[in-house]
Amino acid sequence: MGGGGFSAPPGDPALDLYVLQVARKPHPRICLLPTAGGDAEDQIRRFYSAFRHLPCEPTHVSLFRLGSDRVDLREVLLCQDVLYVGGGSLLNLLAVWRAHGADRLLREAWEEGIVLCGISAGSMCWFEAGLTTSFGEPRPVRALGFLRGSNSVHHDSEGERRPCYHQAIRSESVPPGYAVDDGAGLLFAGTELVEAVSARRGAGAYWVEEVDGEALETPLQMVALPEREELEPPTPLSIAELREARAARLSRGDARRGHR
Amino acid sequence: MERGNTLLDDYVLGLARRRGSTERPRVCFLPTASGDADHYIVRFYRAFSPELCEPSHLSLFRRECAVGDVREHLLTRDLIYVGGGSVVSLLGAWRAHGLDLVLREAWERGVVLCGLSAGSLCWFAEAVTAFHGPPQPVAGLGLLPWSNCVHFGAEPARCAGYRRLLTEGMRPGYAAEDGAALHFEGERLVRVVASRPGARAHRMRWTGKRVSRRPLATTYLGEAEAGSAPDPPAAGRLSVVAA
Repeated sequence: MGGGGFSAPPGDPALDLYVLQVARKPHPRICLLPTAGGDAEDQIRRFYSAFRHLPCEPTHVSLFRLGSDRVDLREVLLCQDVLYVGGGSLLNLLAVWRAHGADRLLREAWEEGIVLCGISAGSMCWFEAGLTTSFGEPRPVRALGFLRGSNSVHHDSEGERRPCYHQAIRSESVPPGYAVDDGAGLLFAGTELVEAVSARRGAGAYWVEEVDGEALETPLQMVALPEREELEPPTPLSIAELREARAARLSRGDARRGHR
Repeated sequence: MERGNTLLDDYVLGLARRRGSTERPRVCFLPTASGDADHYIVRFYRAFSPELCEPSHLSLFRRECAVGDVREHLLTRDLIYVGGGSVVSLLGAWRAHGLDLVLREAWERGVVLCGLSAGSLCWFAEAVTAFHGPPQPVAGLGLLPWSNCVHFGAEPARCAGYRRLLTEGMRPGYAAEDGAALHFEGERLVRVVASRPGARAHRMRWTGKRVSRRPLATTYLGEAEAGSAPDPPAAGRLSVVAA
């Protein structure tokens, strides 16, 4: 996702729902990795306020601050249905993951079919290369490379990224790839692009490649997700009901098992 | 930056004043290990207020409040204070930004380096981290050719982990209890000071038969107020205070 989503007010609830839908489970376990933002508390809080009311089991893993819990990183990551990587510094994200060996765990998660997703730095990290603004001006950086090509985000909202991405594509310092606007996202199955979705009117995604020394942008066909206004207020309510019903069913199940 | 206890802050500020030959030494806080947590940065500015020093901080996550030339800024400080958090994340982020090299350069120029918890572990060749799961060895910056374990005594699993790692070949080193600080000049330990009476540091090594733990003579800094002020050692080159 090129930007927006739960972490930027007022949010794009359609993207949150879309992510859960991709998990193809009634009540997926979804885990936020807020590493790129240094485990920023406001990002973590926004994640829970967006997903708490949706039919899922949200949690997060900190690589900086820890309460009294000592968690086994591998165990926590590999038992999720969705791993959601928050935005922030792409450079720091990759460096901190590598230091903890989380890059290898994420590949393992991907190979096991766990849905990997993210916003901004959390989007670029899956590709061969992205742009980091950690040194001020945007600059290409090598990423995990699960997906072929490069990725640039905030294509419509951060003016300095577009010329930098074009320059990087023209000079072949990054491979051709995808530029994505705030509120838009790309879905891949394995390494194949399945669809490009948009939760905001006009939010697009583009294939960018070098043609005769120029960076050429080809708009992708976008699938429109319901916009914010179309989702509120009925959806949160119906989902809250669904969640209550499910919780009741689960607790009955627990009680039955407990009596055995 | 202990709550309600400024003894260790006063101690490192004393070293910084001597180093800079100024009443208002230049102090930079590196909150990287906490992910540049806002509340931690606020705490630093409260403890190291402009009346005491010329405070600054360096964020690697939120560049909008970053200082211009990172290397230049760090090399012109009298004291660099590294906050706690995850030492693994700290070292990963530092290396990505080349700060590992800049900090070595700062040390060689005589900038006083200090820190607590992860901010202590980072200076040593080897350290014990217990962040995710059981205690693990981690390679630090290696300015000090020893091993280090913090929160000694407070976290039994960490103590046991350090002992086990020593038997498995971790180099000899130092364990510090909460409130105790190790002061090195160059690679040599010159003093152990404490902000709490009874807080200790220990020399730890594997003798080939057993793990030896030798308690080190410790100066409680609080006695200074009673009149017999412990004279801070001259901050020569290569000072590291690890709490």
